Amino acid sequence: MRFQFPAWLGLVCVCGFVSCDKIDEAPKSGPNLISLDAPDYFPGNVAMPADNLLTEEGVRLGRMLFYEKKLSSDGTVSCASCHQQQKAFTDGNKFSFGVNDAIGDKNAMSLSNLHWQNRFFWDGRETTLESQAIQPIEDKREMNLPIEEAVARLKADATYPSLFENAFGTEEITPKLIGKALAQFQRTLISANSKFDAWIRNEVELSPEEELGLELFFTHPDPKLQLRGGNCGDCHLGFLTAGDPNGFTGFHNNGLDTEENLPLGLMKVTGNSFDRGKFKAPGLRNIELTAPYMHDGRFQTLEEVLDHYNDHIQISSTLDVLILEASNEIPENSETVKLHLSENEKKAIIAFLKTLTDQQFITNPKFSDPFK
Amino acid sequence: MKNLIYTALFSSLLLFSSCNEDEVPATMAVDISLDHIISGQPLELNGKSFTLPSGESFTPKKFKYYISNVKLTNSKTGEIYVESDSYHLISEDGNKSIDLGMIPTSNYDQITFSIGVDEIANGKTDQTGDLDPNSDMAWNWNTGYKFLILEGEFTNAKTEERQGLVMHIGTNANYKTITQSVNGLKAGKATTISLVTNLDELFVDPNSLLLSELESTTIMFGEMADKVAENYSEGFITIK
Repeated sequence: MRFQFPAWLGLVCVCGFVSCDKIDEAPKSGPNLISLDAPDYFPGNVAMPADNLLTEEGVRLGRMLFYEKKLSSDGTVSCASCHQQQKAFTDGNKFSFGVNDAIGDKNAMSLSNLHWQNRFFWDGRETTLESQAIQPIEDKREMNLPIEEAVARLKADATYPSLFENAFGTEEITPKLIGKALAQFQRTLISANSKFDAWIRNEVELSPEEELGLELFFTHPDPKLQLRGGNCGDCHLGFLTAGDPNGFTGFHNNGLDTEENLPLGLMKVTGNSFDRGKFKAPGLRNIELTAPYMHDGRFQTLEEVLDHYNDHIQISSTLDVLILEASNEIPENSETVKLHLSENEKKAIIAFLKTLTDQQFITNPKFSDPFK
Repeated sequence: MKNLIYTALFSSLLLFSSCNEDEVPATMAVDISLDHIISGQPLELNGKSFTLPSGESFTPKKFKYYISNVKLTNSKTGEIYVESDSYHLISEDGNKSIDLGMIPTSNYDQITFSIGVDEIANGKTDQTGDLDPNSDMAWNWNTGYKFLILEGEFTNAKTEERQGLVMHIGTNANYKTITQSVNGLKAGKATTISLVTNLDELFVDPNSLLLSELESTTIMFGEMADKVAENYSEGFITIK
């Protein structure tokens, strides 16, 4: 009995759809509303933004813009240059390259299940996918194109004006509409066909090692009670294995750096020194495919990541208390923080992490380059 | 989505309304608000420190708990309103109110609710709404829900080192039911019942906690967790 959802839930969904349809039936000629193809065990309480409902035409336009190299100053780079489907929308680099081989200072984040996130970028500086989408176009180290110039190029194009017309009922192309279309496409990037998903749906069994890994992943250890845990699920929550979507609760200092070397992180956004060194806890779907790891891409392998959490936590004033307090052995002194997982336990957690890989997601033709 | 059914005894009310000129509406809007206080001040989770009853300084970072099975009683007439599917995740940086919607009219004078989730709901994690296991309130797939989470940090008085406090309280034995008298609920009148949740009460009465003396500052299962639950069973949530 894993997650058999009660039968009435189906009814609730149907009712939800019916009422939506009623509201939006009026403009018959407008774009076709669609709903996200998400499993019922994903959070059900996240509404589509009222001013950017998901439509077939909006998603189609967004997909083209996502792969559109015209949106970079020299026409060589698109969103998809750093967010490549076969790598779960990352690029395999420590830092990403923009136009003229400019180099950024953060690791490209994987794009999946974004509808359930509330803050974007490693430092959480954007609150919506719509506003986020514009920034890389303008960033000098990324696509380096003033947004007005992007608008002008799309206006001058033979096909885009009519695509905007179809999606938004206006040929007027604006930065806002570019952001909306990109956001719509990105919301459709749902990864929910991994082995972990099949296990949730009771379709497969996990191997004993994967199952041990799952248990460890979601357990905060308590050595007094001989409760062993890997302490991962404290920050990577639930089926999404993603950060807490409430406020800044999903941002943590995970012990990468000492006090002296602590980067600003979330403090850049909040101005609160209490947030120094905190970064967004990303969703771990497809983590096997998204190396290197951490906001600065410092770890090449999952083994290195596990070793970090097990043995190399750097203590600082904002180190997350859930890490500071986590150990599988009663600590002898409080000068070091060690998780004390065994080699086999670390391996088991990695085996579980690999069940988050979703082959359908990285080969889904709906997410691929429409110009090919 | 809230799905309300009413379990109440109406006979006396019906008699009244049939011979009364100023008819009292059959339903009334009631909601419940919760204020979180610590050390006599509003709770903040942004790095501010507060003094605990022990005199120790504590910086809270996360505070969440379940209120469930809300019931209103009119002790004079015996009328009872029971909210169905009554599970509410309350958190400092999320929801701090409970909207009961339109409920059968009565001069209710008692409110009853529980901290945590009942044994039936705690036995499965295939639930939606506030019991959605995607929040960090579900322990894992077998252990049910955390009823209350308080996380924060303090400086250990003995070692002078920064230490974390991780309170994750759950398990069926720690499901505690609270009844309080309420004033001012008038039949037919929209009302907000104001409750106050005092975090100090997690650390005292009857069990005093001195953070620097704790054997372990991870309080999840076992004796310490039960002691905290005993503390929250009385005086933790009260009428304002």
